[in-house]
Amino acid sequence: MESTAGRGEKIYPLRRIYFYLTEGCNLACRHCWIDPSYQHADKVYPSLPLNLFRSIIDQAIPLGLTNIKLTGGEPFLHPQIFEILELIRSKKLKLEIETNGVLCTPELVSSIARCEMPMISVSIDGADAKTHEWIRGVPGCFEDTLKGLSYLVEADLKPQIIMTLMKKNRDQIEKMVRLGESMGADSIKLNILQPMARGDSMHKEGEGLSVQELMDIGKWIEEILAKSTSIKILYDLPLAFMPLSCMFGDEGSGCGVCKIQEILGVLADGSYALCGIGRNIPELTFGHAAYDNLEDIWRNSEVLRQIRNGLPNRLKGICGKCLMKNICRGSCIAQNYYRNKDLWAPFWYCDEAYREGIFPEGRYV
Amino acid sequence: MMHECSLPTINPQVVCREEFDGWAILFDPDSGKAFGINPVAVRIWKNLDGKTKKEDILQELKSSFSEVPENIESDFVDFVRDLVEKGFAGYEV
Repeated sequence: MESTAGRGEKIYPLRRIYFYLTEGCNLACRHCWIDPSYQHADKVYPSLPLNLFRSIIDQAIPLGLTNIKLTGGEPFLHPQIFEILELIRSKKLKLEIETNGVLCTPELVSSIARCEMPMISVSIDGADAKTHEWIRGVPGCFEDTLKGLSYLVEADLKPQIIMTLMKKNRDQIEKMVRLGESMGADSIKLNILQPMARGDSMHKEGEGLSVQELMDIGKWIEEILAKSTSIKILYDLPLAFMPLSCMFGDEGSGCGVCKIQEILGVLADGSYALCGIGRNIPELTFGHAAYDNLEDIWRNSEVLRQIRNGLPNRLKGICGKCLMKNICRGSCIAQNYYRNKDLWAPFWYCDEAYREGIFPEGRYV
Repeated sequence: MMHECSLPTINPQVVCREEFDGWAILFDPDSGKAFGINPVAVRIWKNLDGKTKKEDILQELKSSFSEVPENIESDFVDFVRDLVEKGFAGYEV
């Protein structure tokens, strides 16, 4: 919860930092919203220097830091990933990792397991090698990913599988659930293909699913698929499209709840940013860890102040009318800005649904 | 703190929108605040009319829902207190 400063201004704690550790990635996914460079044996791209990582953590803890997310690019490509994990462990920070799993080894998994409450998501976009590798762009990566997932399961780290839905894999959702069951995954999160960076190209090429198709899939998951498995299925639609029990119930996942006001992103080059979007949108970066004071950035960045003061009341279009706006907060401000150059523009999915007359009637005024 | 002898009544400004699964959204148009309540809470909300007694509401819950928890009375008190604190219900003065 935020507190109030002497001059009457709210002070927002910096609870979470998302570290986009590497500029490169060992896969070349068609739908990636970050758009990192493809790293292979002949070409290596920069990673966040360890001394900057350490400095950011040291400055952030007094500001309220409790959670770290390591993502990329691909976080396990970082040449000092073991030192980074050890630092996180020594500071007792809760750890979240998003990885493609290819570089997972038993040694790495053991290092992760020593951290506080590690939560690891492994991206798998097809239930077979052909589909997964078509999407992820690198032959052989399916088997490597499954091997990495198995190490995580063996260490009882309860990994989550993340699958991004598109035309290519829409018929593989149930197979993915069965794969998750057989591998021992803890949950499966189904993301919608976001029209940013490479995902934008896929949308334009007709590879994405329509809002109606995505709504129908949600209904099928809720009414049929979820009842056929013990694996928890999280479907990442905007809150207006989700059952209230998911948001407010005892067994709700909290999914879809935006924590934008307590998050800061750090890019692989050391820039502070709203999130990974800063790689593609320079105006959503706020300075650099090598020469800017984190507290100053966190308290005084113009964009962050605008977001704190404007959310949710300045949201436009259907997001401004939505009953969920206090919780959802526009779903993804970064994406809304990417598409419209306006922080307060409505989220594309909700906007399309509203225009098509299929936005849930009871959820807006 | 909840009054001992009486129940609050709902704020007439607050909109209750019921959904297909029995849950409902309580929405205050003035503040823009909204939150979801489960089917049991919906039934409580509908009975905060200034006339129905707590005992009668609890009895109705027990006869209407198959899995009412043993501590329903304390859940009831917590829920009503929460409504008052949010300004979604209040006591007549």
